[in-house]
Amino acid sequence: MAETLPAIATMHTDDLIVRARQGDQHAQGKLVQLWYKRIYNFCYKFFLDHDLAMEVSQKTFISMCKNLAGLQDIARFKSWLYKIAVNYCREEARRNKGNRSLSFDVVWNREAEDSPVWESTLQRFANPESQYRHTELSDILQQALCELSDEQREVVIMKEYEGLKFREIAEVLNISENTVKSRMYYGLDGLKKILERKKITKDTIGYEL
Amino acid sequence: MSYKPDQHAWMAYLYDELEAAEKARMDEYIRTNPEARQELENYRHLRQLMGTVEDKEVIAPPIVFGDSAPRIVWNTPALRVVAGIAASVLILMLAGRLTGLQAGFSGNEFRISFGPPASAPAVAPAPAATAPALSANEVQQMIDASLTRNTQTLQASWQENQHELNASIRRSLASNSGRINDLVKEASTASQQQVQDFIAQVQTENQRVVKDYFQLSATQQKDYIENLLVDFSKYLQQQRTSDLQVVQSRLYALEQNTGVFQQETEQILSSIITSVGGPNGQGNPAVAVQTKY
Repeated sequence: MAETLPAIATMHTDDLIVRARQGDQHAQGKLVQLWYKRIYNFCYKFFLDHDLAMEVSQKTFISMCKNLAGLQDIARFKSWLYKIAVNYCREEARRNKGNRSLSFDVVWNREAEDSPVWESTLQRFANPESQYRHTELSDILQQALCELSDEQREVVIMKEYEGLKFREIAEVLNISENTVKSRMYYGLDGLKKILERKKITKDTIGYEL
Repeated sequence: MSYKPDQHAWMAYLYDELEAAEKARMDEYIRTNPEARQELENYRHLRQLMGTVEDKEVIAPPIVFGDSAPRIVWNTPALRVVAGIAASVLILMLAGRLTGLQAGFSGNEFRISFGPPASAPAVAPAPAATAPALSANEVQQMIDASLTRNTQTLQASWQENQHELNASIRRSLASNSGRINDLVKEASTASQQQVQDFIAQVQTENQRVVKDYFQLSATQQKDYIENLLVDFSKYLQQQRTSDLQVVQSRLYALEQNTGVFQQETEQILSSIITSVGGPNGQGNPAVAVQTKY
């Protein structure tokens, strides 16, 4: 899914970007619609927090619309957009470093109590147990992602979930391709260790995956 | 088999971003090396696990921008301020120009004035320039001569005017007093006769008016009373006819009532007769009634 959606998006985007760059507000709106889900999910995985993700996504798109005229190469739109998002994510992370308060949603998630996640998913007719295990596993993985360092997390999300090429990630982060690969390597390594510590191995889960 | 891939190669291979030659070497390495195979398997498993995290659905909120048109040079606040100052200075200068404002500093004198500077200093040097041509005495004589001539002519004209004025005043006084005397006399003589005439005229007029008034009111009253009498007689007539009609209708009603009474009594009588004559004449009641009448 992560690989196909951006591919579809890019097909429409080139034309849209050209129009949006000329100040066509309709095209800008379309562009936001097309990319919002990707940027939001990137931010969500980075923070594991809906509100922060929404805030950063909105800032990203506002900045995008403002600065689109300054974009030299349309082909680099994707990495440019992610660059904005990453910068805002880092800024937000820096700001929240000392702020360790918990959202009330996390302490007592009423919504989750009232409506189990599997009810809202498409495969709600599948085996409830496997469904539950699936969402649980997803939660554990997201938490594991959050345990990585910011640098590694950025790279892992962009590579694994956003489907960017190593070259593109290097462009986004303004570092060399090899550095990206190194961070990816250590990121995956770290994930492996975290999951082992959480006793998530090939043996403990798995026949149904 | 000295090839040993580093972490960069591993990552590129895992995500299928190696060039063909590199990829072939890597394939070969993995095929021959069971540890590497195991490593690759681990990576694949991890990626599979990570694949269970799905995207969250989210609806993009509307992002609305104000007018994003780039600011024209004229709209920058700094330029506006500068333009405002320049405009006000220009207006001040224009106002100064129009009122002829002049400011100067010469010697120990600071001067602000409207209009051109006083002409005195400008004229002063002129006689000085012509002075050598005429001596002071000559000028004095010329001035004196012209002054005396001027006073002579003035006196002559004044005297002439005086004479004329005196003459005209005397003439007008004489004519006016004569006319006024005539008028007063005429008025005093004529007034006695005129007053009498006027009073007589007024008296006759009054008489006539009073007579007319009485005549008019008398005829009007006569008319009115006549009309009143006619109306009254008409009213009486009408009253009589309506009374007669009422009496007539009453009589008619009485007549009808008596008719009805008659019929009722007839019926009652017939019924009494039939009931009384029942035992003996039951066979023929009609005959019994006929006999009664």
